[in-house]
Amino acid sequence: MALRWSGAHLPPDQAHIAIDPLSIAAFIAVAATFVRAIWFTPLERIQGPAQKIFYIHAPAAWVAFLAFGLVAIASGIYLWLRDERLDRFAESSAEVGVVFTTVVLVTGPLWGRPVWGTWWTWDARLTLTLFLWFIYVGYLVMRGAVDDRAVRARYSAVLGILGALLIPFIHLSVYMFRTLHPLPIVMKASRPSLPGEMLLTLLLAFASFTLLYVALLRARYLLAEERDRLQDSVA
Amino acid sequence: MMPDNAGYYYAAYVVAAVVYVMYAVSIWVRRRRQ
Repeated sequence: MALRWSGAHLPPDQAHIAIDPLSIAAFIAVAATFVRAIWFTPLERIQGPAQKIFYIHAPAAWVAFLAFGLVAIASGIYLWLRDERLDRFAESSAEVGVVFTTVVLVTGPLWGRPVWGTWWTWDARLTLTLFLWFIYVGYLVMRGAVDDRAVRARYSAVLGILGALLIPFIHLSVYMFRTLHPLPIVMKASRPSLPGEMLLTLLLAFASFTLLYVALLRARYLLAEERDRLQDSVA
Repeated sequence: MMPDNAGYYYAAYVVAAVVYVMYAVSIWVRRRRQ
């Protein structure tokens, strides 16, 4: 069995063995980010080593917002054009977004325990982020429960759009409500408030996590495409 | 004095790596089973 550089044009029975250069690039980029964050970025004096959790927590949150934002956009266009490729894209982006939100919800408490003194608090940003995770887990469960492809795509599109309405509230929650969560350090109107070496690590993390999102999204999209092709051939 | 809380940071990096790798593997396994 020959290994090929992309699974997109292989027969379905061979696609899983393909070596995807995008996935390799994403893996190397994320590994480089981890190495730089762990060994080549200075420690913050007040918070100590736990501050380094920030380099994986904030980029994971950015990718989750990007993923769910794209679910809403693709879903909106699907309701207009009824193109199945848009539904597959939304499905794939939602699943990858849930994975990144899971990382946000796990790494947040691991930072909160040593810095705040508690694993969890029901403040606005944390609670809304948990709700966002529940909405898109529900979205995926609902997709698994509806057999008719057109009905499933229509219901999913509506839920995908409604869920993404939480994103601006989550981003602005630290301004709108009294909350323990720190204010944005990079995504704000003024200049980033971080020393150069730490800022570089954070920007590298944003770039590598975004690349990882694209690679996972592509792989998940190919899975959905093969599934639909198989269903069409059986029907 | 700088707080000694490296255990939480190591745990966060390990958990994040495990979640991403497990998800990538799950896509590969699902494609293989189709």
